[in-house]
Amino acid sequence: MIPRLLAARLIDLAVILFGVSVVVFLLIRLVPGDAVAIMLGANAEVTPERIAELRGRLGLDLPIHTQYLRWAGAALTGDFGVSIWTGRPVIEEILASIGPTIELTLLALIFGAVPAVPLGALMAQWRGGAADAALRVVSIAGLTIPSFWLGIVMILALATLAPSAPMLGYVPFAQDPLGHVLRLILPAFALGLPVLANLSRLVRTAMLEALSQDYVRTARAKGVGERRVVYRHALRNALIPFVTSLGVMTGYLLGGAIVVEQVFAIPGLGRLVLGAIAERNYPLIQATILVVTCGFVIVNFVVDLLYLAIDPRLRGAR
Amino acid sequence: MRHAVRAALIAGAVSLPAVAAAQVLEIGYDQSPAGLDPHIATAFATFAVINGTIYEGLTAIDKDLRVTPGLAQSWTVSADGKTYAFKLRPGVTFHDGSPMQAEDVAATIRRVLSKDIASPLASRLAAVDKAEASAPDTVTLTLKEPSAPLLASLATIAVVPRGMEANKDALQKRPVGTGPFKFAEWRPNGHILLSKHAGYWQQGLPKLEGVKFNLVPESATRQVGLTTGTYAMLPNIDAATAQQLKTNPQVRIAETLELAYTMIGMNTSKPPFDKAEVREALNLALNRQEIIAAALFGAGVPGGPLSPALKDWATDVAQFSCYKSDPAKAKQMLEAAGHKEPVAIAMSVLPRQDIKDIAQVVQQQLNKAGFKVELKNLELGQFIQDWRNSNFDIFASTNAGSVDPDDYFFRTFRTGGSTNVFKYSNPEVDRLLDSARAMQDQAQRKAAYDDVQKRLACQGPIAHIAYGQLFTATRPNVQGFSIIANRSLSTLRETTIGK
Repeated sequence: MIPRLLAARLIDLAVILFGVSVVVFLLIRLVPGDAVAIMLGANAEVTPERIAELRGRLGLDLPIHTQYLRWAGAALTGDFGVSIWTGRPVIEEILASIGPTIELTLLALIFGAVPAVPLGALMAQWRGGAADAALRVVSIAGLTIPSFWLGIVMILALATLAPSAPMLGYVPFAQDPLGHVLRLILPAFALGLPVLANLSRLVRTAMLEALSQDYVRTARAKGVGERRVVYRHALRNALIPFVTSLGVMTGYLLGGAIVVEQVFAIPGLGRLVLGAIAERNYPLIQATILVVTCGFVIVNFVVDLLYLAIDPRLRGAR
Repeated sequence: MRHAVRAALIAGAVSLPAVAAAQVLEIGYDQSPAGLDPHIATAFATFAVINGTIYEGLTAIDKDLRVTPGLAQSWTVSADGKTYAFKLRPGVTFHDGSPMQAEDVAATIRRVLSKDIASPLASRLAAVDKAEASAPDTVTLTLKEPSAPLLASLATIAVVPRGMEANKDALQKRPVGTGPFKFAEWRPNGHILLSKHAGYWQQGLPKLEGVKFNLVPESATRQVGLTTGTYAMLPNIDAATAQQLKTNPQVRIAETLELAYTMIGMNTSKPPFDKAEVREALNLALNRQEIIAAALFGAGVPGGPLSPALKDWATDVAQFSCYKSDPAKAKQMLEAAGHKEPVAIAMSVLPRQDIKDIAQVVQQQLNKAGFKVELKNLELGQFIQDWRNSNFDIFASTNAGSVDPDDYFFRTFRTGGSTNVFKYSNPEVDRLLDSARAMQDQAQRKAAYDDVQKRLACQGPIAHIAYGQLFTATRPNVQGFSIIANRSLSTLRETTIGK
């Protein structure tokens, strides 16, 4: 079961990576203004010969399919090239930035997903009541407030309320473990709030649907306690769409991390790729997107495994 | 997660040998430099980190924008203006411990001029024929023709150790200079840490143990960081930010008139701006005071082709007839030039907030004076590409400005100049620029540049709008820092952190 699933996912991964690499490769080169022009800047005193020379050295003068084949060939052997600007291998740059992003995404996922289940279940239980209505208003607000705005407001609020709190910037874990975690709380909250809003609404809807099913009526008729009906019978079924969304939400979080890292000055993957796009650092953009794509596919593979754990019917099937 | 922890551990281990925290100045810095090689990375983002901190030149620029001795303690110029002999300061060492000698300086000049390095600074040394170490402490530069701006240009040429002539990579990541601070650590998107250079030639300097440039892209985060004390300095900030910080009792603001200017550039290679009268009409249509009040929070002065900060050179704008706003006259001039209908033009806008604000005010003003302006807000890459290819009617932008008039004028307004994207060509201006660069006599040079400014102010390809105020915000305990109009942070060597 699991080996077959794994094989299927690996094939998916290969196809997706190929597709993504082609699209990224083309798109970033279709954007006007190439690396050389930006590198030399608007006011650099540079002759056309020097521009051509630099372009040749970076291989940007070749036809685009040749550029792609060269790059893909090297990438298959594990060589993703060097950053155009710093000259460091792009893998080194990515490894140096990936830690904060993984931490931030995980924390935000915990903030967003863990309270979503009880909240959604409660909203379903209280449906129609004042508490349900209030929570629904709050969750719509949570869905619509952009993370970057929330982040800036939280920073400003913090500066007014607790100016001495060490919550700005970023310190490595080894240097100051407590400060490290403290400084990640605000960004993780800003990033995780829309996820919480989204997932709790999803759990509520799924719960309402589950609670109207025949087996719930049967359970109640058998005299099973209400709490057991809600949490044991209904919730378990309602969790399937929840787990599916977790995979999708991880994608959202990786995208949101770009903005939140920018606001909170966290040296993660998001800032790396944003900077790389602004300076048309082609090798770095390509490799970073591929790494993020891999991460996304792997998360969704884990989600598939979770299905098996939640739904016993799937274990025998397929 | 284990990955994350491990990455964090590695990162932490790297930054542990940091300098003692007490006298390290924490700077909130907006842009990540593209590299730290002084001859390759020449953008503002790099300049402020390395100029006068890590690197020094043969000459230096002081607070009043005058040329002073730097690594050369004195120099002599031959009668024909084609041979310069620089006597080097004794006791200067590089950060790697080796002494700085004439051979290092000669190698530096050769490096900037070398085709392999392709330095954007090469044009500043275009007049140099050869550089030699004529004695261990004397460097001789031989020029192809006399070059009056050479001494000012040399202040921007950082002296690096010999042996780098073909090496494009080493200094980008690990700079080595003679300045008061040496490179300690660069965490991409995190920070750049400089530590005290114990062997610095100037006794008792620097006073700080180190300087840390924290790379913080979001302006609100930097501001809060300063007011809460996470950062002690925000260098080179704009008027809007300074206004917001001014009211905070925990913030001190230093300011100076900037060398950089905001401007409208016109394409003289095609209608309608191929006609001098249309360019003059655009100048007349502008109301510079209104632009400064509306877009720069009043922090700036109207300026001509040279910044009023250059007291030795700049012509007072009161002498330019077209600087008195007159939309009606502008309209008449357009009609006289054959434009009965409003002149439809597109204005490309550099993606920077103050420039966008200026562009909107300019659009309004031009529309009242017989133009019909369409704004094009472009992404930076696109803007630069259009700029370089002269693909614009007019554009709104900003430019760094220079300490010596020749550096700006020659490349911008000389026919075929390297940044003459306006395709401007005026034989009289060409003649003046050619002759002024060969003049030794200051009064004679000034007369020539007075003439150039007069010709460029109203009918040149650039409508200069304003020279803004430049601000640096610090905590009250930061002392000894002075702000310099060219955005150099060289006075960090005299800076201390008090109680």
